Amino acid sequence: MALTTTRARPVVGARPARRRESVLARIVRHWADYLYIAPALIVMLLVIGYPIYYTVYLSFFATPPSLSMDEKIWVGLDNYRRILRSESFRDVTWNTFIWTIFSTFFAFVLGFAAALVVHREFIGRGIVRGLLLIPYVISAVAASYIWRWLYHSDSGLISGVLMDLGLIDRPINFLDDIDRVMPSLIVANVWKEFPFAMIMLLAGLQTVPEQLHRAAMVDGAGTWHRFIHVTIPHLKGVIIITTLLLLVTNLNSFTIVWIMTGGGPAGASEIWITEVYQLAFGRLRFGLASAYSVILFIVMMTLGYFYVKALTRGDRRRRPA
Amino acid sequence: MTSQNDRRILSQQLTRRQVLGLGAAAGLAAAGVAPTNALAQSDKTGVDPEQWNPETIRQMAGTLEVNTAEEVAEVVPLDYKGKVSYWYVGPNEASSEIEKQVDAEFWAAFKETYPNIEVNVQNLDYNQMLDKLRTAALGKAAPVVARMPILWGVEFAAKGQLSEISLDEFNFSEEEFWPGALKSVTWEGKRYGVPTNNETMGFIWNRAIFAEAGLDPESPPATWADVVEYSKIIKEKTGKAGYGLVARVNAGNTPFRFMPVLWAYGGGALDEAEPNPTYDKIYIDNEGSQAALQTHYDMYVRDKSVPVGALTNTQTENRDPFVAGQLAMMISHPSEYAAIIDAANKATGEDKVIADQVVESMAYGLIPEGPTRRAVVFGGSNIHIFNPDLVEGDFDRDAARALIAFMCGPEWSTKLAWVSSNPGNIRGFRTTWMKERLETIRFLDVTTSMLPYGIPFPVIPESPEIMNIIVPEMMQNALTESMSVEEACQTAREQIEELLTGL
Repeated sequence: MALTTTRARPVVGARPARRRESVLARIVRHWADYLYIAPALIVMLLVIGYPIYYTVYLSFFATPPSLSMDEKIWVGLDNYRRILRSESFRDVTWNTFIWTIFSTFFAFVLGFAAALVVHREFIGRGIVRGLLLIPYVISAVAASYIWRWLYHSDSGLISGVLMDLGLIDRPINFLDDIDRVMPSLIVANVWKEFPFAMIMLLAGLQTVPEQLHRAAMVDGAGTWHRFIHVTIPHLKGVIIITTLLLLVTNLNSFTIVWIMTGGGPAGASEIWITEVYQLAFGRLRFGLASAYSVILFIVMMTLGYFYVKALTRGDRRRRPA
Repeated sequence: MTSQNDRRILSQQLTRRQVLGLGAAAGLAAAGVAPTNALAQSDKTGVDPEQWNPETIRQMAGTLEVNTAEEVAEVVPLDYKGKVSYWYVGPNEASSEIEKQVDAEFWAAFKETYPNIEVNVQNLDYNQMLDKLRTAALGKAAPVVARMPILWGVEFAAKGQLSEISLDEFNFSEEEFWPGALKSVTWEGKRYGVPTNNETMGFIWNRAIFAEAGLDPESPPATWADVVEYSKIIKEKTGKAGYGLVARVNAGNTPFRFMPVLWAYGGGALDEAEPNPTYDKIYIDNEGSQAALQTHYDMYVRDKSVPVGALTNTQTENRDPFVAGQLAMMISHPSEYAAIIDAANKATGEDKVIADQVVESMAYGLIPEGPTRRAVVFGGSNIHIFNPDLVEGDFDRDAARALIAFMCGPEWSTKLAWVSSNPGNIRGFRTTWMKERLETIRFLDVTTSMLPYGIPFPVIPESPEIMNIIVPEMMQNALTESMSVEEACQTAREQIEELLTGL
């Protein structure tokens, strides 16, 4: 698209010809735009802004012995200090790190592989695409119960099949073992999530110009080189966004862990989000849970910043000078 | 009473209900039934073993005719027009058909009695209802009436989220309820609910597995040390799981099955098992508690004689292996029998043959005793009216009173507890429906025999956290060997101390 401008091209090293407009001035100049989005902004302030404010506010209080929040006790930054100094915070953070990184990595890799497969023409491709989407469309609650049954340490299907095949002589303890529980949960989570990565990357693959591949082939590039030098650079934006979305989703992921293990055994699968829930609704420490949420919010906002930045990078490139 | 009484029970059952009562009688006899410490424990519940035992209950059953409509009409006129919202833990997929049927009959009967009262009913899962109620109350969207497990009510009362009630407004008197049950609805001298049912569990075992393991099929373990030993023998001799241990966090099944062991060894969370509990002493790390936790460690870690999935299992997950003849012992309600018969009826082929054999081999007895006492949780449910300020929509107290009076009267108090429990309104024991229960429900005698050994959970607002989180986490810390038994108990103590001294 050809863009024209009457603005003078700035000379390198020279001051801009026009003074930069202040934020307020720009808002005033675009008042009609703001008016149009005002209803949406007001609703967002009410349903997002107020809860955020109240969570931050509550994070400075402790729950009283009566458990009544009408009598909450001001403790300043104590909740934050307690969380950051506690051993359980370190354990939960480490679990969250493992859960998020490995879930994201394997969901991405598996999703990418699946996308590459279903991008090719073959008989029954539509059916395979549909089948691969099943984990994504199935309810997380239902999936969690199914996986719990598959993994069950006494009567689980996986152990049962392996025992019938003579590969093991006693059931594998997936969910009741502190070392195996997290990998087991990650497998279930990756199974649930990889179709999302597949959809995103498949959409991206469909935008890679065929002529680029052909040109590379003419230049003698093999499959691997075309993948590395043509496909990947073209998918860079999609890859970043998919990865960020997977990271955010996994950091917020609650259902699978909560239903399958409740954070156990002995806290071995406790992650931030289940800890926040447990603190608030299991232990009624609303202040502590709020402080935890604020910390989580900061982490998420940081990721969100990069997400938006990645999303709008192309826009800025296309913005008129 | 004691052994002489038990012999009478045994002889009655063998002659009159040989098939139905054999297992229960064997359990009672084998366990000695002698309530050696029941008199002392009955102080806490008001269940006097002289007055409340299988024989006296059998004698009083059928001596009272009740007309519920007449009784409730004195509370709220039958033509009253109103509306009430009601949340409860009702029958679910795992419940027996008879429980579902009774529940449906209750709502039909209420509709017939009060045709102009509209009830907005929500049947919630036990493990989710507490969180939902807490959230709803904070969000001022609570139901008008809620029936809650006995453990929860005080927390809501302490937070000022329940309405104070008097028994008079439902035309009830204190004599109609056990003192221990009334205590569970009382906070700082004020009453906040009405007991709907009070329950104690029994010990269930599969006689066929006992025989296969070379154990006397008619003799259940008398002590918790025996449970450990029997569990080990069963695992070694048959390869099947011995005892159905459960240790899931945030699941009501866990404290109901583990606290009796703690109490049996002289332990406890607080001093709730003492004659005059003050709830200001912590017992979770005393020698008794450590010994009790050691029994579970021995079964799970040392002997590997219990289901491996115990840390994520609830009692529902024990039922399938029990029906499949793969689990020998567990603690549960009499309703377990009805549920297992249902499961057996649904089974097909070879599974059906095995399930039918298990039903035939199923026996109930007293929960084993420990060095200090025999104990069981004095559980049940209470019904409460929420604070009008926290209720969503109209607050119609008369409609709520009608529902509570109807539900807690002798008729429905008995019928709603049909296969699982005892009527909260003890007039229910005298009704013809109670007589029918005794004649048709197997193993009911066992749980009524356990009543005098009942110990209520501490009546403090912190109880749900202690029982649903701290105690199960203590178990998990020890059973996963993340901590030693001593360290797990010490950690639990620190958590309870912190909890009681302010959050």
